[in-house]
Amino acid sequence: MLVELLIVTALLSSVLVMLAPDEYAGQFAAALSLVPVAASLWMYSVFDGSGNALLAGSQPAFETVAEWITLGAYTINWHVGLDGVSMPLIVLTTVLTTLAIISAWTPIDERQSQFYGLVLFMEAALIGVFAALDFFLWFVFWEAVLVPMYLLIGVWGGPRRKYAAIKFFVYTNVASLVMFVGFFALVFGLGDSISSLGLPAIAQALNAGELGSLAGIDPPMLKLLAFIAMFGGFAVKVPVVPFHTWLPDAHVEAPTPVSVLLAGVLLKMGTYALLRFNFTMLADVARANAEIIAIFAVVSIIYGALLALAQQDLKRIVAYSSISSMGYVILGLVAFTPHGLGGATFQMISHGLISGLMFMAVGVIYNETHTRMIGDMSGMADRMPVTAGVFVAAAFGYMGLPLMSGFAAEVLVFLGSFQSEVIQAAPLFTSIAMFGIVIVAGYLLRAMQKTLFGPFRLETDYEIGRAPFQDIAPLIVLLLLVIALGVAPDLFYKMIQDSIAPMVELGELGGGA
Amino acid sequence: MAGETFTAYALVPAIAALPFAAFLVSLLFGRYMPKGGALAGIFAMGGSLAISIATLLTVAGILPGDPAYHETIWQFATGIDTFDLHLGVYIDPLSALMLVIVSLISFLVFVFSLGYMNDEGETGLARYYASLSLFSFSMLAFVFADNILMAFMFFELVGLCSFLLIGFWFREDAPPSAAKKAFLVTRFGDFFFLIGVVGIFATFGTGLFANVTRDGSTVQSFPALAEQMMNGQTPAMASDMLDIVGMSPQAWITVLGLLVLGGVVGKSAQFPLHTWLPDAMEGPTPVSALIHAATMVAAGVYLVARMYGFYALSPTALAIIALTGGFTALFAASMGVVKQEIKQVLAYSTISQYGYIMLALGSGGYVAGVFHLTTHAVFKALLFLGAGSVIIAMHHNENMWDMGGLKDKMPVTYYAFLSGSLALAGIVPFSGFWSKDEVLFEALIHGAGGNPLFLVAWAMGLLAVFFTGFYTFRMVLLTFHGEPRTETAEDPHGVRWNVKFPLAVLGILAATVGFINMAPIAKLTNLHIDFLHTWLGGSELVAEEFGTGLHHYEVLLEEVAGVSAAYPIGGEVTTMLASAAVSLGLALAGAGLAWSLYSGPEPVEHTNKLGGVKTLLMHNYYQDEYQVWLARDVTLPLSRAADRFDQGIIDGIVNGVSSVSLLSGDRVRRIQTGVVSNYAALLTLGLTILLVVFGLVGGWF
Repeated sequence: MLVELLIVTALLSSVLVMLAPDEYAGQFAAALSLVPVAASLWMYSVFDGSGNALLAGSQPAFETVAEWITLGAYTINWHVGLDGVSMPLIVLTTVLTTLAIISAWTPIDERQSQFYGLVLFMEAALIGVFAALDFFLWFVFWEAVLVPMYLLIGVWGGPRRKYAAIKFFVYTNVASLVMFVGFFALVFGLGDSISSLGLPAIAQALNAGELGSLAGIDPPMLKLLAFIAMFGGFAVKVPVVPFHTWLPDAHVEAPTPVSVLLAGVLLKMGTYALLRFNFTMLADVARANAEIIAIFAVVSIIYGALLALAQQDLKRIVAYSSISSMGYVILGLVAFTPHGLGGATFQMISHGLISGLMFMAVGVIYNETHTRMIGDMSGMADRMPVTAGVFVAAAFGYMGLPLMSGFAAEVLVFLGSFQSEVIQAAPLFTSIAMFGIVIVAGYLLRAMQKTLFGPFRLETDYEIGRAPFQDIAPLIVLLLLVIALGVAPDLFYKMIQDSIAPMVELGELGGGA
Repeated sequence: MAGETFTAYALVPAIAALPFAAFLVSLLFGRYMPKGGALAGIFAMGGSLAISIATLLTVAGILPGDPAYHETIWQFATGIDTFDLHLGVYIDPLSALMLVIVSLISFLVFVFSLGYMNDEGETGLARYYASLSLFSFSMLAFVFADNILMAFMFFELVGLCSFLLIGFWFREDAPPSAAKKAFLVTRFGDFFFLIGVVGIFATFGTGLFANVTRDGSTVQSFPALAEQMMNGQTPAMASDMLDIVGMSPQAWITVLGLLVLGGVVGKSAQFPLHTWLPDAMEGPTPVSALIHAATMVAAGVYLVARMYGFYALSPTALAIIALTGGFTALFAASMGVVKQEIKQVLAYSTISQYGYIMLALGSGGYVAGVFHLTTHAVFKALLFLGAGSVIIAMHHNENMWDMGGLKDKMPVTYYAFLSGSLALAGIVPFSGFWSKDEVLFEALIHGAGGNPLFLVAWAMGLLAVFFTGFYTFRMVLLTFHGEPRTETAEDPHGVRWNVKFPLAVLGILAATVGFINMAPIAKLTNLHIDFLHTWLGGSELVAEEFGTGLHHYEVLLEEVAGVSAAYPIGGEVTTMLASAAVSLGLALAGAGLAWSLYSGPEPVEHTNKLGGVKTLLMHNYYQDEYQVWLARDVTLPLSRAADRFDQGIIDGIVNGVSSVSLLSGDRVRRIQTGVVSNYAALLTLGLTILLVVFGLVGGWF
C-alpha cells in the first residue's frame, strides 16, 4: 500500500496546491512534497525486495496486485512493486521534486499555484512509471508525465517556449507510439501464452521462448523489429544521438526547476524503460547487436560532449552534457556485466542528482544576472562567492571527481564494460568512451574560467548581490547527497546489484530465440 | 596484521583525517578565526607529522609493531562479482618514508604561509588554508593507499586542489587560466591512467599493491598476479582478458604499465605533458613549494615506485620510463638557462629533476629514484620558500634582473637558498650530489650491462648536470650577488620568523639529508652507511609476505626484465668514483661558467649570444603552441562543426519531418493560440485515440 500512498499523496497535494492562493503556493507545495520524501526514505530503510521484479524468483517490495479491468483475452491488473532498480529512482524522484519546488520560489512569479500543482502531478506520474509492473498501468503513467511537462515548458518557459514545448511533446509522443507498436507486436506474438499485460509475465514468457510468428514474421525477426521500435522509442527519451535535438531546446526554454526535473528524472524514464524492456525482455537481441548499441553509446558520449564544448549558453552546455552522461548508461547496460548493469543504474541516480545540481547552479546565477551567456559575464565569484563555490563543486562532480557520485558511477560502468564479453572489442569501446572525461573537463573548466573567474564584468544592468538562502539551500542538500553517494555508493549499489544480478546471464544461451 | 597490542599503525588513518578536519574547520569557520584558519592547519599538520614519524619508527622496529601494516578501512562498492573495490592503508618502508616527507614539507609550508599570505594582507585566507589542508589530505591518503583505485581517486583529488590553489587569485586573468591548463593537461594523462586502472581490475580482479591477509586467507596483489602470469600460471580472469585483447601476458603487462604511466607523465610534468607546470607559477609561492616538492608532482613518480613490482616485469616499460626521464631532464634544464623570473627557473628545474627520478626508476635504480625524490623534496621546497622570501622582499616582483645584492640584506634567506642551490646543482657534500650521483651511476651500470637505451638516457641525464650547474648559479648570482639593480632591491621588505624558521630547517636538511645514503663512501670504506638502501630493503617479511620492497624488485629486475649491471671502468668502486667525479666535474663546470659570466657587480645578459636558440628556448621549444593549437584550433572548430551539423542536418531533418506531418505549419500556430485547457484536452484525446486503435487491433472489445 505504500506505493499507492506515495502516488495518492502526490496527486492530492497537486489538487490542494492548485486551489491554494499563488502567494503561498510555493511554500505549501514544498511542505506537502515532504510527505512523499519522508515516505520514500522510510520505504528505502525498510526495503526488503529481492531479485529483479520482472524475472522469476524475485520478490518485489511493497507489491500490490489487484484485478482492475478485463480487455478481451487480457486481464489488466493494478500491479505495482519495487525492486533494487526502481527503489533508488523513487527516492531520486521525491527528493528532487522537493528541491526543485524550493528552487522555483525565486524565479517563478506568476500562476504559482498551477505551476506547483503541475509539478506535484508530474511527481505522482513519475512514481507510477517507476513502480508500475503492468504494461497498461505503466503506459498510462508514462503518458501522464508528458502533459504536465509540456505545460510547464509551454506556459512558464522562455521566449521560444511554444516551439520547444510542441517539439518536446510531438517528438516524445511519436516515440511513444513507435514503442507502443513494437511492444504490442510482442504481445500479439506471444498469443495465448500470456493472459495479462503484466510486465513480469511478458518478460518471462519472452525469455522462455514462447514468442510465435505474427503476420508471417518469424519470431527472431519479430523480436528484432520490436527491439528496434522500442529502442527507437526510448532512445528519444534518453536521449541517444541522433534522437536528441528536442532536448537542448526544451532545456533552454524551460524554467530552471523544470530543467532540474527534466534532466534529473524524466531522462531516466528512457534508460529505465530500456533496462526493463529492451535489456530484460529482449536481452538476447541486445546481446546479438551489442556492438551497434555500443556505437550509439560511444557516439552519444563523444558527440554530445563535443556539442557541449561549442555552446555559449551555460544551460545548453549542461543540456548537451546530459546526452554525453546518458551515453555511459547505455554502454553499461549493453555490457551485461554486474558492474556494467549496476554502474549504469547507479549513473541514472548520480546523473539525476548532479545534473539537477548543475541546472540549479546555473539557475541561481541567472536569477541574479538575468543572463546565461558566457560572453556576458566574468568574475562572478567575486560577487557570489558561495554560489561560485557550489558551482565549482558541482562542475567537478560532473567531471567525475572521486568521492562524488559521478566518479563511482562512471568507474563502475567502465569496469563493467571493459571486461564485457558481449561487446566485441569492449576495451576499445570503453577507452573511447573514457575520453569523455577529458572533454567534459574541457568545457566545464572553460565555462567556469570565463564566467566565475577573472575581473568582474557583467553586461546586463542588474545590481547583483549574494543569492538568497532559499536559492542556495537546495544546492547544498544536493551536493551533500552527491558526496554521500560518492563516498558510499553501497547505499544504493547493493540493492541495485541484487536486482541486476539475474540480468547478467539473461538471453545468453539464446533461450528466447 | 593488526595485533592485539596498540601500535602507531592504529593512528595512520588520522594522518590524512587530521588535515581533512582542518579543511572543514577552515572552510566553515576560517573567516571567524584568527589567522584565517591557519592554526587549524598547522596543528593538524603537526599531528600528522608526529604520527608519520611514529609510523616510521615502528617500521624501523624502534617502536613496537610489525615492519609493515595493512588494513582495509572502507568498502567502496560491493558487486556480485569479485572486484575488490575498497579503500585501505598500506604501510611499508616506502610509504612510511613518503608520509614523513609530505607531512614535514606541508607543515613547513603552512608555517611559511603565515609570513607569505597573512602578513601581506591577503583576503580569502580561509579558502587558502582550506584548499591547502585538502591538498595535504589528498596527498597523504594517496601515499598510504593500498590499491590503485584508491590511488587514482586521491590522485584526482590532488588535481582538484592544484586547480583551486593555482587559481587562488581568481580575480586576475592569468591564474584561472593556468589552473585550467594544469587540470586539463593532467586530466589528459589521467585518461590513460584510468584506462590502466580499469584494465588492471578487469585483468586481475584487484588493484592491491601488496599481498594482504583478509579473513585468514591471502589476497594477492596485482603485481604478484602479473608475475604469475609471466610464469605461465595465468588466473582464469586474466586469461579471459588476454583473449579479449588478443595479447601475450608480456605485451599486455607492458600496455597496462604504459597506460598508468600516462597519469605519471601528466602529474610529474614529464615531456610532453610538462607544459602545465611553468604556468602553475601563477599560484602563491608556498603552494608552488608544496606542489613541486611533496605533493602533486611527487605523486606521479611515487606511483611508479609504489607499483615497482609491476614495472619490473616489463623491460619495454622500464626503457620508456628511463628515456622519458633522461630526455625530460636535459630538455627542461636547457630551458631553465634563459629564464628571467626566479620562479620560472625553479619550475624548469623541477621538471628536470623529476626527469632524473624517472631515469633512475626506469633504469633499475629503485633506491636511487626514491633517494632523489627525498632529497629533491627537501631542497626544492627550500628553494621555493627561499624564492618566496625574496619575492616578499621585492614586493612581489619576480624578475631576477630587478634584484641583485640581496645577500647582505637577507642573510638567512641567502645561506639557506645557497644550501638548496648547492644541493640542486649537485655539489659535494650537499644532498643533491649523493642522490643525483647515484641516479647516474645506476643508469650507467645497468646500461653497460646490456641495455643500450639506458645508456642513451644516461648520456642525456649527464649532460643535463652541466646545464643544472649553470642555471642554478646564474639564478643565485643574479638574485643575491652584485649590486642592487632597482630601488626595491636596495631596500627590501623584511621577513619575519615564520619565513626564516622553515628556511633554516630546510637549509640544514638540504645540506645533510644526503648522508642517509652515501653509497660511494659506503663502497669505498665497506661501512654499512647506505641507510636508505637498507631501509627500502625492509625486512624479509615485507619481501616475502607482502611482495614489495627492494629485495623482491632486484630479483624481478634481474630475472624477468633482464636488467643486470656491468662496470665499464675497472670494478664497481672505480666505476662509482669515476661516475661521481664526472658528474661533479660537469656540475662545477656549469657553475663555473655561470660565475665567469654573471659574477661581476653589474652583470649583463649573455643569453643573446645564443641567437636563434634563445628564441627557441624562450618559447619552450614551442611545446605550448602546439598544445594550445590542438585545443583551440583543432578541437574547438571540430566542436563548432559538430554543432552546425547538429543544428543544420540532424535538427533540420527533425523539423523537416514535422513540417510535412499533421502538427505542422498553420496548424501548430493555431494550436499555440489556444489556452492551457485546450492543450490538456488535445493530449487526452490523442492518448485515448491511441488506446482505442490498439484496442480494436488487439480485439479487446
